Amino acid sequence: MEEFDYEKLGLKCGLEIHQQLNTSTKLFCRCPAELQGTREPDFTISRNMRPVLGELGVYDEAMLTEYGKGMGIVYEGYNDVVCTYELDDTPPFSCNIEARRVALQIALLLNANIIEEMHVCRKNYLDGSVPCGFQRTMILGTDGYISLENGKKIGIDILSLEEEAARKIKTENKINYFRLDRLGIPLVEVTTKPDINTPDECRESAERIGLLLWSTRVKKVIGSIRQDINVSIVDGTRIEIKGVQKLGWIPLLINHEISRQLKLIEIKGELEKRKLDEKNVNENFIDLSETLAKTKSNFISKGIKSGKKLYGINFSGFKGIFGKELMENYRFGTEVSSKVNVISGLKGIIHSDEDLNKYKFSKDDIEKIKESLASKEDDCFVLVLGSNKEVKKAMKVIINRIKFAFKGVPPETRKALESGNTEFLRELHGGARLYPDTDTEAIFNFKEEIQEIHKNLPELPWLIIKKYSKKYDTEERLIKDLIFTGKLQLFDDLIKLYPDNPSLIFTTLLETTTALRREGKNMENISDNDFLEIFTLLKKREISKEAIEELLSLKADSPELSIDQIKKKSKIESITLDDLKKLTVKIVDNNSKMIKEKKMRAKGPLMGIVMKEVRGKIDGAIVSKELDYAIKEKLKELK
Amino acid sequence: MIEKLKGYKGEGKKILEENKIEIWDIIHIKTSKTNFEGIVLPRSEYSAPNFINLKLENNYNIGINVSDIQEIKKIGKREAVYKIPEKKFPRNENLPNVILLGTGGTVASRLDYTTGAVIPTFTPGELFSAVPELAEICNLECEMVFKILSENMKYEYWQKLAEKVEAAANSGIEGIMIGHGTDTMSFTSAALSFMLKDLSIPVVLVGSQRSSDRPSSDAALNLINAAVVAGSDIAEVVVSMLGSSSHDYGLIHRGTLVRKMHSSVRDTFRTIDNIPLGMVRNRNIKMFTQDYRRRKKSKTIALTTYEKKVALIYSYPDIDNEVIDFYIDKGYRGIVFAGTGLGHLPTTLYNSIERAIQEGMTILMTTQTLSGFVGMHVYSTGRELLNIGVIPGRNLLPEVAYVKLGWVLGQTSNPEEIKTLLLQNIAGEFIEREIPIAFNYNIDKLLKNNKL
Repeated sequence: MEEFDYEKLGLKCGLEIHQQLNTSTKLFCRCPAELQGTREPDFTISRNMRPVLGELGVYDEAMLTEYGKGMGIVYEGYNDVVCTYELDDTPPFSCNIEARRVALQIALLLNANIIEEMHVCRKNYLDGSVPCGFQRTMILGTDGYISLENGKKIGIDILSLEEEAARKIKTENKINYFRLDRLGIPLVEVTTKPDINTPDECRESAERIGLLLWSTRVKKVIGSIRQDINVSIVDGTRIEIKGVQKLGWIPLLINHEISRQLKLIEIKGELEKRKLDEKNVNENFIDLSETLAKTKSNFISKGIKSGKKLYGINFSGFKGIFGKELMENYRFGTEVSSKVNVISGLKGIIHSDEDLNKYKFSKDDIEKIKESLASKEDDCFVLVLGSNKEVKKAMKVIINRIKFAFKGVPPETRKALESGNTEFLRELHGGARLYPDTDTEAIFNFKEEIQEIHKNLPELPWLIIKKYSKKYDTEERLIKDLIFTGKLQLFDDLIKLYPDNPSLIFTTLLETTTALRREGKNMENISDNDFLEIFTLLKKREISKEAIEELLSLKADSPELSIDQIKKKSKIESITLDDLKKLTVKIVDNNSKMIKEKKMRAKGPLMGIVMKEVRGKIDGAIVSKELDYAIKEKLKELK
Repeated sequence: MIEKLKGYKGEGKKILEENKIEIWDIIHIKTSKTNFEGIVLPRSEYSAPNFINLKLENNYNIGINVSDIQEIKKIGKREAVYKIPEKKFPRNENLPNVILLGTGGTVASRLDYTTGAVIPTFTPGELFSAVPELAEICNLECEMVFKILSENMKYEYWQKLAEKVEAAANSGIEGIMIGHGTDTMSFTSAALSFMLKDLSIPVVLVGSQRSSDRPSSDAALNLINAAVVAGSDIAEVVVSMLGSSSHDYGLIHRGTLVRKMHSSVRDTFRTIDNIPLGMVRNRNIKMFTQDYRRRKKSKTIALTTYEKKVALIYSYPDIDNEVIDFYIDKGYRGIVFAGTGLGHLPTTLYNSIERAIQEGMTILMTTQTLSGFVGMHVYSTGRELLNIGVIPGRNLLPEVAYVKLGWVLGQTSNPEEIKTLLLQNIAGEFIEREIPIAFNYNIDKLLKNNKL
């Protein structure tokens, strides 16, 4: 991975972390806050949205772009977890007190200043993810901080309490499908100040905020926490990267983004060097459908025959710009193409900086294109194929993007990819999309209530990690994993029940469950109580520790059975020491010939025979000890 | 123009005045814990007194307790202009000429800083630039007749609307839309139905259940559908609103059989005692019946005289005679009862009702079940009420009966003529027969099974 001199670049990063709260009902209605997975919906309704003005009388650009896409919306819902509120057919009910209290706790842990009188705002979204067209959101805290390991403080700009959006299921025939079970689940958004100056700091900040959130009453499942990063460098601009699924991605994403911005700044410089001017960028695209009707390119000729249009445009002096690599396997051409894709729906563009042979154009085709577009040696031409409407939309996107190349880096929201690259998602939303919510009253956080919550704040997770790691003599990583899998409380309960072997508890909660999940077992079927029952059996010596994995595996398969029933059904029981002694003596007797020959070396094969009988019923170490003893006795006897 | 410290009271008002700060000023505030910078917003008159409303730089709004403020100073000003650009409407000779009469209501409303709720302020011209599709359907003129919330409707406004319709219909306008708040839309549709004799063109009442300042508003689609109906051959007063929660099709309801049946959903309007006249989807109209009045070259006459002294009383167990006596003593000329079941009232009311009739009042009976006919020959209570002189209102909705009684009493004071007019089918308010699906039809299902 390329490393940069971040200080010289003036790198500034900020984080936005979204976390669902673990409340029984939603934020503004009393529907259960429960996701329904792949369950078939009970009903669907179709809607569409229109852009509206923000409170200060301005349209939000990103909203207009979204409207321009002309997408339809279908909502899918369930009668038992979705009401007319989620359908935007009933006004909101009072704000969930439970959710507000968890959010207050988080605000205090972040050392934030609490807003006494909260005003619910509408954050407009036209993408359909919220049926009313806006997310209800309110600022609960401002101006807090978290401390990093080295003592540096990262400022927290705001903490807001808001509603989760609907789940996007699919896009088909220009219709986005959303599931409404997730809509309205309480969510906090933590936004840091741009105080983060290196990729590692960014990763650590995200991890610390995550740990802090997970030490409160939040939903602790995959997808319940999401992080976005804001990245900017000097001469670049603020880019929002959304959908960062793993903490490990953060440094890579930032480095790739730095590279992209640097290369875009280079392009700006190059255009200046070539003495090109934004004002002279060609805006006239030309219909080439007839000129290229007989092209050798199958893909083009088929398209034209089916009624599509081929449009071309020439950019003077742009040779080589489209081919310039901005990130790994991502050229300026890719940048333009992915923006065209998102806004017009077209798959992509063709440009003269790429290998045109792959489209099977003949030499004659290329000549015709160049002639029609008056494209010269130093120029770059771009072609798009699609319906008349799509192609015109695409050309507008291309021209605007080319014009922005003279300014450098366009402000955008981009989507994180696993490779560390990003792609265009939408224009950066501005403040113009905020509007006061006219359906709700102000909500108060009274001083007495805040003091009460302050008294009962949980300990900071990084202090817990240090303490546990020391107490149980284990790596800090394991404690972190316990917090991030939501099992710290369970660990505490188990250690109280079974203090003899902390490392067995770590192994069970972290490694065994992960291994079973990888085998495809549904670990959702195993409750905290099941773990407690298993360790109770262990304590009473009714099972051996070897049986734990099997019990968990069986429970995952048959959630309707209790641990006790599973134990009886699968005949998992421990063997008493007396019975073990009898068994080893018997096996040793049966193999006296081997013992005579191999002496103590016979232990290996005999251990296998004994374990076959007692696996899962008793600790192997005890078996080994007993076998050792029995062989020695036998050898004495044989003398 | 909003006054300088709109909505501010108590300590909040005091600190702003002392520091010469007005609404829309950008200010800096220092509290014991932190600093804020933002625009001072107007405040709802009904909210707590000692807070200042601030729009922060990130555009979020918060309230700051005055007692936390250590320093406050003005650093700039920014005034919001919340206005959709008005555009001139293009004309197309081939499209019908339609007038949109504005009355206020959710179809044309926005944020109100006094109450924090929504009020009507959009001009129809602004609506235009917000819904350009209208230009593909009709040539539109707009006139804001009055700006009220529909709960503040008065009979004088019905009269004014009827006169506007009369004038427009007789001057070559081919269709009329009336933007109206949904709360009392069915009262107005009934009133116009009775007042407009020999109506020659469509009169379409339209509104929205979600205000037009939210992206999900039903206002635009309802307006588009209403414009299509306004250009159709249905020369009746109708209500056109969404037929399901989806932004899919609108239904066309006869103005005298329609009622708002849900406080908030988009498909709140239903035709009672029948199925709707038809539907409009993707700019096409599909009629469910041929029993409607067609567009024709007649002279529309507005018969607008109206008697205001009419009451609508919802009956309930143990209702007191004094309720009736009050109206008699106040000189009321008629009462519509929403009786129980088939049109019943407690026998304890007989005395007062007899007295009312003796004093020349007209008593009209409807049912609070809304659906179905009154049947006053079935039980003795019904017969006794008829005997006292109560007029059975057949299938009339209570609100429609209320409007009709006011209109009839405006037309004549002759007791025989009153009774005749009340029982005459003036504007499709009476049904001859109730079709079995009328009570619980589901248009979605009927469409799916091809039964319409």
